[in-house]
Amino acid sequence: MSTQVHANLTEEQVTQISEELDEPEWLLETRLDAYEALDSLDMPDVIRTPGRDWTNLDALDYETLVDPLDWDEEKDRVDAEGVDVLSWSDALDEHGDLIEEQFGSAVDTQRDYLTALSTALFSAGTVVYVPEGVDAEDVKIRTTMNSRSLFNYTLVVAEESSSVTILERQTTGTNVDGEQYYSGIVEVAAEENSSVQYGTLQNLDDDSYNFQVKRGHAGTYATVDWIEGNIGSRLTKSNVETRLLGDASESQIVGAFFGHEDQHFDIASRVWHEAEHTTADLVTRGVLDDAARSVYEGVQDVGREAWDTNSYQRENTLMLSDESEADASPKLIINNHDTEASHSATVGQVDEEDMFYMTSRSVDPESAENMLVEGFFVPVFEEIAVDELREDLDDLVVERLRE
Amino acid sequence: MSSDQDHIKETDTEKRFEFKKEEKSAFEAEKGLTEETIRVISEDKDEPEWMLERRLRALEQFKQMPMPDGWPGAPDLSEIDVDEIVPYIRPDIETRGGVDDWNDLPEEIQDTFDKLGIPEAEKNALSGVGAQYESEIVYQNMQEQWEEKGVVFCDMDKALQEHEELVREHFMTKAVPPSDNKFAALHGAIWSGGSFVYVPEDTSVDMPIQAYFRMNSDGMGQFEHTLIIAEESSEVHYIEGCSAPKYSEFNLHSGGVEVFVGENAHVQYSTVQNWSKNTYNLNTKRAICEADGTMEWVSGSMGSKATMLYPSTVLKGPGATDNHITIAMAGEGQNIDTGAKVYHNAPDTKSTIESKSISKDGGRTNYRGLVHIADGAEGASTSVECDALMFDNESTSDTMPYMEIQESKVDVAHEATVGKIGDEDVFYLQSRGLDDDDAKQMIVAGFIEPLTEELPIEYAVEMNRLIELEMEGSLG
Repeated sequence: MSTQVHANLTEEQVTQISEELDEPEWLLETRLDAYEALDSLDMPDVIRTPGRDWTNLDALDYETLVDPLDWDEEKDRVDAEGVDVLSWSDALDEHGDLIEEQFGSAVDTQRDYLTALSTALFSAGTVVYVPEGVDAEDVKIRTTMNSRSLFNYTLVVAEESSSVTILERQTTGTNVDGEQYYSGIVEVAAEENSSVQYGTLQNLDDDSYNFQVKRGHAGTYATVDWIEGNIGSRLTKSNVETRLLGDASESQIVGAFFGHEDQHFDIASRVWHEAEHTTADLVTRGVLDDAARSVYEGVQDVGREAWDTNSYQRENTLMLSDESEADASPKLIINNHDTEASHSATVGQVDEEDMFYMTSRSVDPESAENMLVEGFFVPVFEEIAVDELREDLDDLVVERLRE
Repeated sequence: MSSDQDHIKETDTEKRFEFKKEEKSAFEAEKGLTEETIRVISEDKDEPEWMLERRLRALEQFKQMPMPDGWPGAPDLSEIDVDEIVPYIRPDIETRGGVDDWNDLPEEIQDTFDKLGIPEAEKNALSGVGAQYESEIVYQNMQEQWEEKGVVFCDMDKALQEHEELVREHFMTKAVPPSDNKFAALHGAIWSGGSFVYVPEDTSVDMPIQAYFRMNSDGMGQFEHTLIIAEESSEVHYIEGCSAPKYSEFNLHSGGVEVFVGENAHVQYSTVQNWSKNTYNLNTKRAICEADGTMEWVSGSMGSKATMLYPSTVLKGPGATDNHITIAMAGEGQNIDTGAKVYHNAPDTKSTIESKSISKDGGRTNYRGLVHIADGAEGASTSVECDALMFDNESTSDTMPYMEIQESKVDVAHEATVGKIGDEDVFYLQSRGLDDDDAKQMIVAGFIEPLTEELPIEYAVEMNRLIELEMEGSLG
C-alpha cells in the first residue's frame, strides 16, 4: 500500500543526507534499515468504524509533498545552565555513545510508514542532554519551517535526579508557498528520579500536513509530562505517549486544540502502566469552529504487573459551528485489578444558560461566546506549569477568537 | 417466596443447565455449508422461492466477507470451522411449527423445558411462550386474550407461511442485512426457527412474552431469527433465554434479531444468555425506532466461551429514545465482548447506555460501543456509563467506546470506572457476620442491581442464581 513517496526516494538520497551531516556509520545504517522497511510498513493506525474513517492518511500525496534533499529551517535554541542543547552534528561529536545508546529506544524507528520515513530522512533536530543532578528550566527550541518538507528529530536524555522543562514552538516561515509536510519525532528518556516536562506549541501554516510522534520512558520515581497545543496545520496526526516503566513513575498529558476552517486534528494520548504505584493523568480540551474536525483517542493500558495503579482521563470538546465534527474514543485496558481508573469524555456546545447570563449583563453575544470559549480552556491552562507556554497558548486562542 | 415461584426454588439451578438429553432427531443436515445444504433446508421447510434466493445470496456474501477478528482484545474465533457445524436439526416432532399444548410434546423435550421452568413461568407471569429445541420451535403458546386483540406470536417458519408479506418486507432487508457482518450473512443463509411477534396499533401487551432457546446436540449451530414488529403506540416486552449443556466440541450460536418500533411504540427486549462454555455466541441485534418510539435492550451475558454482541438501535424519528442495560460476567476461559451501538439520525433523540461488567478467574470482559450523532440531529443527547469490577489479577477488563459527533447542538457524555472489589466493603459486611463468599456475592448483586430491576421477577431471580453459581465456582 505504501508507495506514495517511494517513487522519488532513493537509497542514495538517504546516504547523501547522512554524509552531509557527517554521521557515524550506525546512524546511516539505522536510516537505511528504515528506508528498506518502507516497503513492508503500513501507514499509522487510524480509527475506522463501519462507514467512517476517522482520519484518512492515504489520500495525501506524499510524492509531491516530500522533497528529501531540499530542506531548510531556522532554528533558535535557548539553553539553560548545565544543560546541553545541541544540533545533531554537535551532539554526535560530544555525546556519540550516549546517542547511539538512546536513539530509537523510546520511539520504534519503524513503528509505521511515516515514522520510518522520518527516521530515514530527518535532517533537522535537537539533542537535549541533562546531566545527573542538574535542575534546568526554560530550554526553548523554536523551529521555523522554510521548505516544502521538514523532518525534525528531538532526543531528550535526563540523567538521574535531574529535571528540565523544554518548550518547543513550531511555525512556518513567510517564504514558503503551497502545501507542506512537517514530521516531528520526540524521544524522551527520563532516568531514575528525574523529571521532564516537554511542551509543544504547534502553529504551522494552514496549508501544512503535520505528523508527530512523542514518546517518553519514565524510570523509577521519574516524571514525564507532556503539553500538546495544536493551533495550526491543515491536518495533524499527533501521538503523545508515555511508558511508565519504573515503580512510582508518573505522567501527565495535557492537550489543547482549537480548530477552524477545514482543519483536521487527530490527537492521541496514550499511557502504559508497566510498574507498581504508577500514576497517569490525561487531560485534553478542544474547540472546533467552522468545518473543523477532531479525532481524539486516549488509551490507559494497565499491565499485569502494574499493582496499585491510578489512572485518570478527561476529554472535552466544544463545538461552535454546525459543520464541525468530533470523534472521540477514550479507552481503558485493565489487566491488574489493583487499579483505580476512570475516564470521561464529553462533546457539547456553549451552554445556553451561560450565554443568557452574559448577554443579560449586556455583554454582546460575540464577546460573550469568546469569553466562554476562553474560559473553557481554563482547566487545561491550569494544568500547564510552564507560564510562557500557557500565556502563548492563551494568546493564540484569543487571536483565533478575534479572527 | 410465594408459591408462585416454587418452580424456581425447587429446581436446583445448576441441574437446570447442565443436564444433557440423548439426541433424537428426525432430520439432520449434513455437516458443512454448501448451496446443496441450503436448498435442502429450504425445501424441508417448504419455503417460498424468494426466501431460498435470499438464503443463497447471503451464502455468497458469507463466503466473501472477512472474519471479524482484527479488533484489539476481540475473542479468538479461529476455532470456528463452519464446515464442522451441523446447521439444522429438526427435533422429532410430527407437527410443523411446534405444538400448542404442552402435553403433546415428546417426553424428553418436555422434561428438558420442565427443568428449565418454562411452562410454570408461562402460567404465572407471561403472556406467551415459545421454546426452541435445536433448530425449530417445539412449543408455542399465546394466551387467548392477546390473540383476540390481533397480537401474533408464532415461530418464524410458521410466520413465513401465514404472514408472508410482512416477513418478506422486514426480513433482513432494513435492520440487519446479511452484508452487515460475516455472521449476519451466515445467519441469513442458514437461519432456522425463532419467533415472530406482531403487535397491532394501540395495543399494549402488558405481560412479557418469552422465548427459550436450547441447543442439545454436539457440534450444533443455532441460528434462530427473531422479528418483532410493534405498530404505532403499541407496547411489548420480549424475553429471550438461552442455554446449552456442555459438550466437548464447540457450538455456534449466531442469532439475528430485528425490531421495528413504530411511532410512539415501546419495545423492551431482554436477554439472559447462559450458553455452555464451549459456545461461540455471535449475534446481530438491531432495532429501528420511529418518532417518539422507545427501544430498550436489557442483556445479561453469563455463559458462552466467547460472545460478540452489540445490540444496536437506529433512532430514525424525532424524539425517539433508546436505553441499553448490559451486564457481562466472564470467568475462566471466557471472553465476553459486548457493547451497544446507537445511531442518532433525527433531532431530539435520546440514548442512555449503562454497562456493568465483572471479570474473574482470568476471564475477559470488553465494552465496545459506538454512538453516532448524524448531522442534523439537533438536540440529541446521549450518556454512556461503563463500570467494571475485577476480582483478581488474572482477569482483564477493557473499555473501548467510540463517539462520532457530526452535529453541534448535542449533549454527549461518556464515563467509565474500573475498580477492584472494595476491601472495606467486604470488611464491613464481614463485621456484620457474613462470611467472605456471601459478602462478595452481595456486593456483586448490588453492582448488577440496575439490570435485575428491569427484569420480571422470574428472570431477576434466575440472574441472581446464575451469578451465585458462577461465584461459588470461584470462591468455594
